[in-house]
Amino acid sequence: MAQPAISVKDLTFSYGDILAVDDISFDVAEGEVIGFLGPNGAGKSTVVKMLTGQLTPQNGSATLLGMDIVKDRKQVQQEIGISFEFTNLYEQMSAVENLNLFAKLYKVSDFDAIDLLQKVGLGGRDKEHVANYSKGMKQRLMMARALVSDPKMLFLDEPTDGLDPVSTETIHTLIRAATQTGTTVFLTTHDMVEADKLSDRVAFLNQGKIVALDTPARLKQRFGMRALKVEVELPNGEIEVREVTLDEDQTPQTVFDLFKNERILTVHSEEATLEDIFFDITGRGLQG
Amino acid sequence: MDIQRIAVLIGKDARLGATNFMVLYVLVMPVVLSLLIALVFGDLLAQTPRLGIYDASASEQFTRPLLDHPSINTTIYDSEETLQSAVERGSEEIGLSLPAGFAASLEDDSAEVVFTAYRWGEAGVRNLLLLESAIARAMTAGIGSSIDQLPVTVNAEQIGSANTQTWSQRLLPLLLIMSIVLGGLFFPAASLLDEKKDRTLVALTSTPTSLLDVYLSKTLMGFILSGIMGSVILLINGAFVGQVALLLLVIALGGLMSSSFGIILGSVSKDMDTFMGIIKGAGILLYAPGILKIFPQVPEWIGRIFPTYYLMNPLLEVTQNGAGFADILIDIVVMAVLVAVLLVLLNSVIGRQQQKLALET
Repeated sequence: MAQPAISVKDLTFSYGDILAVDDISFDVAEGEVIGFLGPNGAGKSTVVKMLTGQLTPQNGSATLLGMDIVKDRKQVQQEIGISFEFTNLYEQMSAVENLNLFAKLYKVSDFDAIDLLQKVGLGGRDKEHVANYSKGMKQRLMMARALVSDPKMLFLDEPTDGLDPVSTETIHTLIRAATQTGTTVFLTTHDMVEADKLSDRVAFLNQGKIVALDTPARLKQRFGMRALKVEVELPNGEIEVREVTLDEDQTPQTVFDLFKNERILTVHSEEATLEDIFFDITGRGLQG
Repeated sequence: MDIQRIAVLIGKDARLGATNFMVLYVLVMPVVLSLLIALVFGDLLAQTPRLGIYDASASEQFTRPLLDHPSINTTIYDSEETLQSAVERGSEEIGLSLPAGFAASLEDDSAEVVFTAYRWGEAGVRNLLLLESAIARAMTAGIGSSIDQLPVTVNAEQIGSANTQTWSQRLLPLLLIMSIVLGGLFFPAASLLDEKKDRTLVALTSTPTSLLDVYLSKTLMGFILSGIMGSVILLINGAFVGQVALLLLVIALGGLMSSSFGIILGSVSKDMDTFMGIIKGAGILLYAPGILKIFPQVPEWIGRIFPTYYLMNPLLEVTQNGAGFADILIDIVVMAVLVAVLLVLLNSVIGRQQQKLALET
């Protein structure tokens, strides 16, 4: 079996008496997109900070690309790119200057800032002060900055939070393009649709623990309930909505009876969302 | 520590500093002040030397050359009292009181030439030299031969305070402190506070760049600015003379002291407002030795209480009194100890900042 890109074992971190990350373990394969989902305070940021060398774990261990996150911190940081949730660009400098600065800090030779800016859709305004950029443009520039060193692993924290659909799609395209070249992506997000769309697997984090980790499809299969939503017209002319749960023994007979005995107006299939599943597992919503 | 990354960060800080109003203000202000002081008190547009004469003997052959002299401003007074009063208030730098019989004594080779000269206590050396030279020439013209051959008695009297320092000399210490300390202190502090506010510090330290690299780059930038500013102020004031290497050593230590202090202040300050509050409140402690130097009657030991005295004093000793390394050794040792203490503190501050950064959400 190939060495995992990320291997986490019994990782723990407390802020004083508050246990932020509670003995978590998981592996991520090379080229995989893992979505880390959880409400505020679930411990997502603390996990990212430990994996990216900003925090030292109090217990447990982790390797990134075979390197220990504590002993080989600098080598690990050379191989990863990070896009933060908050904007932290040099706003009095141009996009080109921002990217060139980080290319020099990563000691990347033959770096072409213009080419990278064109890829993220900022080609025309590369010389302009970043302060004049919209939020979407800044987010795309942060994504470009994360890609400066051509990293083997990307940590993306809420990469599309508050962005317009066009900017969101640009970021999604960039993430997909990165995975096609074998880059592993660690995605933390509140956006369940985004996680569902982009992630090969998702991990639900609640109160510092991973409460579920699987592909979105399998999680829906395991925890969710598929159903049909049927609108029927009653003899008195009123409209009633009936829900038929699938995957049960009596489902075929129920559906047969419904179609035989009622006047059907519309039929919709329904499946559980990741948010529904998270709520089912933890008893709390993702925004909480 | 990575030299290449530190150099990259210095380049970035230089680029951003050039557009930072506060940094520019701090760098430009001492130069502007220095030029203003040179303009008002110093040698840039030095006032024409002023000579007052009370001539009781109508000795035209002596006073005419002085009245016609293109480089001095000569005024004739009608009484000795008004002449004395003019010298006392500084309207005249030298006042000559020529007694009755003065003209005759000039013409008589054997007679003793006697007159009184009043000198304003705060008159500049340059003007005094020019006036004395003009007076000697006028006397030579009056008698038709060198005054060396005449018995001359001058009753010299000083009027006004006895301070021999010019205003530009008295203000130079304050300007030096402002340029070296403010230049070195403001840049690292302001730059670090900006990085904290804009959260770019997190972005930098998420690359292989360490927090130590970031702090060192800002400290070095402050050190460089401090050195440039100190040298510029000395040059403007015509004081970058004599032992240049010794002056550079003192400026370097002063720059290191102020830039280390600046980065520490920037690190412990929550934001720019807090930092400015500290500077406004405690800034007087930085400038105090310079302010005290404006008033020569204040005892020297009071200045020694303040750390910046040990930067200012050796610079003044070298530039104004021609002191050598041995003369300023104690000041240099005190400054080196202060720098060492600040560097130890800096190390601890970096550790604390690292923790704060990691715990920030």
